[in-house]
Amino acid sequence: MHTCPRCESKKAEVVSKSPVEGAWEVYMCPVCIFTWRSIEPETITNPEKYNRAFKVNPADIPFAENVPALPAKYIK
Amino acid sequence: MAYKDFRDFLATLEKEGQLLTINDEVKPEPDIAAATKAMSKLGAETPAMLFDNIYGYNDAKVAMNVMGSWPNHALMMSLPKNTPLKDQFFEFARRYDQFPMPVQREETAPFHEVEITENINLFDILPLFRLNQGDGGFYIDKACVISRDLDDPEHFGKQNVGIYRMQVKGKDRLGIQPVPQHDIAIHLRQAEERGENLPVVIALGNEPAITTAAATPLHYDQSEYEMAGAIQGEPYRIVKAKDSDLDIPWGAEVVLEGELLAGVREFEGPFGEFTGHYSGGRSMPVIKINRVYHRQNPIFEHLYIGMPWTETDYMIGINTSVPLYQQLKEAFPNEIQAVNAMYTHGLVAIISTKRRYGGFAKAVGMRALTTPHGLGYCKLVIVVDEDVDPFNLPQVMWALSTKMHPKHDAVIIPDLSVLALDPGSSPSGITHKMVLDATTPVAPETRGHYSQPLDSPLNVEKWEQRLRELLR
Repeated sequence: MHTCPRCESKKAEVVSKSPVEGAWEVYMCPVCIFTWRSIEPETITNPEKYNRAFKVNPADIPFAENVPALPAKYIK
Repeated sequence: MAYKDFRDFLATLEKEGQLLTINDEVKPEPDIAAATKAMSKLGAETPAMLFDNIYGYNDAKVAMNVMGSWPNHALMMSLPKNTPLKDQFFEFARRYDQFPMPVQREETAPFHEVEITENINLFDILPLFRLNQGDGGFYIDKACVISRDLDDPEHFGKQNVGIYRMQVKGKDRLGIQPVPQHDIAIHLRQAEERGENLPVVIALGNEPAITTAAATPLHYDQSEYEMAGAIQGEPYRIVKAKDSDLDIPWGAEVVLEGELLAGVREFEGPFGEFTGHYSGGRSMPVIKINRVYHRQNPIFEHLYIGMPWTETDYMIGINTSVPLYQQLKEAFPNEIQAVNAMYTHGLVAIISTKRRYGGFAKAVGMRALTTPHGLGYCKLVIVVDEDVDPFNLPQVMWALSTKMHPKHDAVIIPDLSVLALDPGSSPSGITHKMVLDATTPVAPETRGHYSQPLDSPLNVEKWEQRLRELLR
């Protein structure tokens, strides 16, 4: 498990490893779906240095606008 | 002449000096996006780029900026690479009029070479990477997405081929942005009302005629494949999918078959968009991938999108302008000369027209607002005389400088529709629009002093043509 730099959940998992062994790994966060590569700059990989304007609060995710709108039968 | 497939087009670009291969090792981030953005800054005649030494990969190849310049756009139509922009516009309009060109069906395709149905992992199959720093992940943004009308599945023209941004959200999972104005949103709506998933095919790495047709605002029942044939001057080749009745571009490098999941919306984005702004995070539909095919050693074609101008603007410039031109000509066949709707996908459009009487140019401008594309774009329409080339911005600025009187010629219409991605719209999707009449007043509009326009020395046009040939 890895910490998501964007929403700071601790649930991110490895989704891919470099074909050349040991070069990098790709992680994905199941909470905010953020995806990153281990060798990206710290402004992407480090939760403390990730651009604050692009941080995601997991509590806000259920309120994101549906595009396109869902038909009424799917709205609980 | 048609290009057989994506590789055939790349070979032509190379032969014409319009492909730069980067053999030096690059990192997936930030190098590939940075190099592509930098290339866009070098002007309007830049080459495509092929990266073939990417850190961590053994034999991945990534093609960028493939149609990111006017020479490459000319070569897309098999024209000489130095064909002037306005000539490319009229040639595209001529071919647009050849629609529909019947398709050519094939039984097998090169992408059948490798097929994967078990343990699909898109992150392993494609050399994916981040484009812009605020992007929520790795995207696919230049692929053809194909779907059918579920209420009229036999109607070939209602099958849609469109280009939509897709976020890779899992090993076999994509998020997609079908905004309500897009044709695929109609198909998704049909599927969701039935409670069924919508079959889709995604084709990556195509020759450029279908990419161009897929990015052209055609009518709902017009086939992109039949338009691609018209653009390339030969029947377009397609092959059937295995899991559905969908038709696939024969020359694709990689094909993903799957289904749009009915009733599912999931957090997506942000993504740096063609408006030069990020889209923000929203909940959007999800595609589950069930089958992947690809050629041996596939080339991954990707598109950098960001602060204009980038490849997108070259790719959707002329094919946005021509439908607007044709639709305006339907209303005013003897007056409309040319349309340049190349700025931020036509949020700004420039129309060159003759005037029959005073006030006519304003009517032309307002007609543009009510075309299909105008409903979502054309926030500012500039109307110029027939002797002003709308593709020549210094000429357009001259017309605005000398012909437009702000008291008489600036018309603002409040609260019209616009695409929601327009960051200035408020609420999102609503904006005032403006027509600027920069044409010479004609009777009964007799204001100003326009009786002595400058002429040119004799034979300038002959010289222009001669010089162009000498410089070819």
